[in-house]
Amino acid sequence: MSERRAVSPLKALARFWSGYSFIVVFIVILVGYKVVNPSLTMAGVMNILRHSAVIGIMALGMGLVIITGQIDLSIGSMLAFVGGLTIIVFNMTNSVIVAAIAAVAIGALCGLLNGVLVGKAKMPAFIVTLATMLIFRSVVRYICYTVPVDISGGSNSLFKLLSSNSEWKAFFNFGNSKLIGLPLLIAVLACVEILLVCAFYRSRSSAKLAGGRVKIIYSVIQAIVIIAVIVFWKPILAFFSSKTIGILPMTGVFLIALTLLIVYITTSTKFGKQLYAVGSNERAARLSGINVDNTRIAVFVITGCLTGISAFLWIAMNASVDPATTGGSNEMYAIAAVVLGGISMAGGRGKCVGILFGVLSYTIIDKIIVAMKMNTLIQDGVKGAILIIVIIIQTMSPVIKEYFAAKKARRAIKS
Amino acid sequence: MSILEMRGICKAFSGVEVLKGVDLTIEKGEIHTILGENGAGKSTLMNILTGVLPMDRGSIVFDGQTIEHPTVPLTEKLGIAFVHQELNLFPTMKAYENLFLCKEYTNKFGMLKKRTMIERAQALFDEMGVQIDPIALVSDLSMGKKQLLEIAKALLFDAKLLILDEPTTALNNEEIDRLFEILRDLRGKGKSFIFISHKMPEIFSLCDRYTVLRNGEFVNQGNIADTDAEALARMMVGSSYVNSDIYRRRELGEEALGIQGLTGNGFSNVTLSAKKGEILALTGLQGSGSSEVMQAVFGSVPVDAGAITVFGRTLKRHGIHASMKAGISMLPSNRKENSVVPDMSIHENMFLSEHTLTGSRQHIFKKAEKKEYGEMKTLLNIKAADSENAVTSLSGGNQQKIFLARWLCTGGDIMLLDNPTQGIDVGSKAEIYQLILKLAETGKTILINTLEINEIQKMADRCAVFYDGKLLKILDHDEIDEHTVMMYSTNAVQAMEE
Repeated sequence: MSERRAVSPLKALARFWSGYSFIVVFIVILVGYKVVNPSLTMAGVMNILRHSAVIGIMALGMGLVIITGQIDLSIGSMLAFVGGLTIIVFNMTNSVIVAAIAAVAIGALCGLLNGVLVGKAKMPAFIVTLATMLIFRSVVRYICYTVPVDISGGSNSLFKLLSSNSEWKAFFNFGNSKLIGLPLLIAVLACVEILLVCAFYRSRSSAKLAGGRVKIIYSVIQAIVIIAVIVFWKPILAFFSSKTIGILPMTGVFLIALTLLIVYITTSTKFGKQLYAVGSNERAARLSGINVDNTRIAVFVITGCLTGISAFLWIAMNASVDPATTGGSNEMYAIAAVVLGGISMAGGRGKCVGILFGVLSYTIIDKIIVAMKMNTLIQDGVKGAILIIVIIIQTMSPVIKEYFAAKKARRAIKS
Repeated sequence: MSILEMRGICKAFSGVEVLKGVDLTIEKGEIHTILGENGAGKSTLMNILTGVLPMDRGSIVFDGQTIEHPTVPLTEKLGIAFVHQELNLFPTMKAYENLFLCKEYTNKFGMLKKRTMIERAQALFDEMGVQIDPIALVSDLSMGKKQLLEIAKALLFDAKLLILDEPTTALNNEEIDRLFEILRDLRGKGKSFIFISHKMPEIFSLCDRYTVLRNGEFVNQGNIADTDAEALARMMVGSSYVNSDIYRRRELGEEALGIQGLTGNGFSNVTLSAKKGEILALTGLQGSGSSEVMQAVFGSVPVDAGAITVFGRTLKRHGIHASMKAGISMLPSNRKENSVVPDMSIHENMFLSEHTLTGSRQHIFKKAEKKEYGEMKTLLNIKAADSENAVTSLSGGNQQKIFLARWLCTGGDIMLLDNPTQGIDVGSKAEIYQLILKLAETGKTILINTLEINEIQKMADRCAVFYDGKLLKILDHDEIDEHTVMMYSTNAVQAMEE
């Protein structure tokens, strides 16, 4: 009996690991960062979000594609392609809104091209997106070389936001702005409320707690939050306006909001369930009435849109796009983040919230290497090694479990 | 002299006892059947015998030799061969390459002696009386020949005991006869067989002795000649088994489904109609087109000509979604390939089809679905601990009920069931028959495609017999019997031989 009790926390950890290994990995890496960089502040942590945004948003799309059992290798090149064209649009229209719409629309069109070739023409996604990867990269470089410099904004090998445009400052500020004061407070309150409502419906639908008691607990917590905000609004607002708590970067807000949206889609909508069904057993999905072709097209279009948003944020943060290098290898980082996030490459399995943690973990690794004053050339080496270690633990854990179970059984026979 | 003696075999999976001291004795040169419902422990016992799973307790004596810890290589070496239900063949390789895989004849430089292997394979096929070209691609062979190739593979390396796990499910009647002939011949040569099947007629025509398992316990063993199907079925399911005539004549309504001159790949000019509340069986040999007609009505295979009407309205578009909107649903055959979504829970599997019809409201209201799940669970008597468990944790019969529920949730009035009792144990089969009759009473129009004639007798109001893609004859309930249905099928066999 005492022996069993001794094992149970380990067992609990093992169960948590099998479902949420990405959180364990994230916490370990974050703690590692704090160790090598003791002066880490809240603002530094927030910076992780900012630097994860571009790849993170692309990785969300990649996650959906992988859940349906496909792959999209073109998103890195697509980022440069969409980014370049978006800068041209901005330089010609001098409008941030039009540029944003253009980014998403061009991204969607690129995704549609991939999607139609995979979904309708039934070509393997690996081949299609390998081809479009080459096409996007080459075409955007060609465009940059060909268009006049006053449209590309930079040179014949660089797209740049035209600083003569009056909206230039607004665009750049948007990308580097931070949520502070009242907007941040509202955002935090909104998150708390969403979490409360989710928790409320969760616990109410599970039969363990009686509905009435949950309702009371829920109301009490909500009342406390509201009263606290009303009574202490001044110090709270001052707290959220101070620079010490760290401030949420605008790009990070996009990443978190889009993650929440994708998590909602994959867990609570019919479309989301159909993605898993298509990835798990395509024939059964088709014979259940799911339009497999259209589902395929839809995920590629969504990925295109998300890459468009990423391109827009990239421009807002950097004010330029180098058609030769921007987005290079990003598709590989996105795949790595998706896998680290626990999504099965075979399709049909995994939680999308893991993608966020996967991306954040990789960004922290970059920062650890900088903090340790190591050569940044080794970054990819470390990332690759961590991916292998985590996946080894995941794939080996059933084997290890079986080994111990067999050993235990053998001991039981002997005694 | 017995070739195999298993005594007191026990096995538990994480505390749950699956085998509780099972005995099994196989004589030399006999065909022995192991009977039991799904979950009775047949496959666990076979996995222990072949060394796939370790046993907790018990003893195994094979061919005079005690096996302490069976492992796959050891049992293979001793001469136990497992011919799996899912064939372990590589379709892109040639027949002889499959035969000699990992045991190839080579010369001293490691080069393959292809000609020797082909000759050896040919000699073996001749000896068995099988017509397989050794250099044919496995993907080009018929299911029956693939099954025989698996058996040849076992014989090539001198297996003394062959385990055949439902070898006839994918075969047509002619292929089954051929297979049985060969098995009888091999029995005469001293080979022993363990034959696992759910089909009683096969057991009585082929097997010598039986062992019955129920809930992991040994129930009985004896000679097939001393018993009958009723008695065996009763042993398998215990006291709960009733083989009463469950068919009742019902009032039928207006025409629900009409098919006019439907033509497509594998069937031509099929005209049929079914009334509201009617159970119409389609039958015919493998490749007769009955399954294809069903798939065409559901829209999952294309049609070249013809029309489908549902309650007097002709379907304008052809396709799964159009058929579903008109109220047609189909439970496909081959549950594992065509119905199971293995990565999803029981709950998610059940609502997959309903979701595609209500796509305009994307949010899933879990509570409402939970309630509907509960209703389905009682209606269909589904045995599942938790709706969030993986669908693959259920037994075959319960899985099939989940997929039946998947279509009941869509509220369609016309249900097409393609081989609904495939790979399901006797107890669940009887339950599914009752269910289908119950559904017909509530006004559903049900078409069943099946090859089992006793199934048709139990349920169908009428039976449509197909031959070579054409509708040959429609029989009324009173006309349906083994002999009459077979007469039309025999017709087909003769035509095939010409």
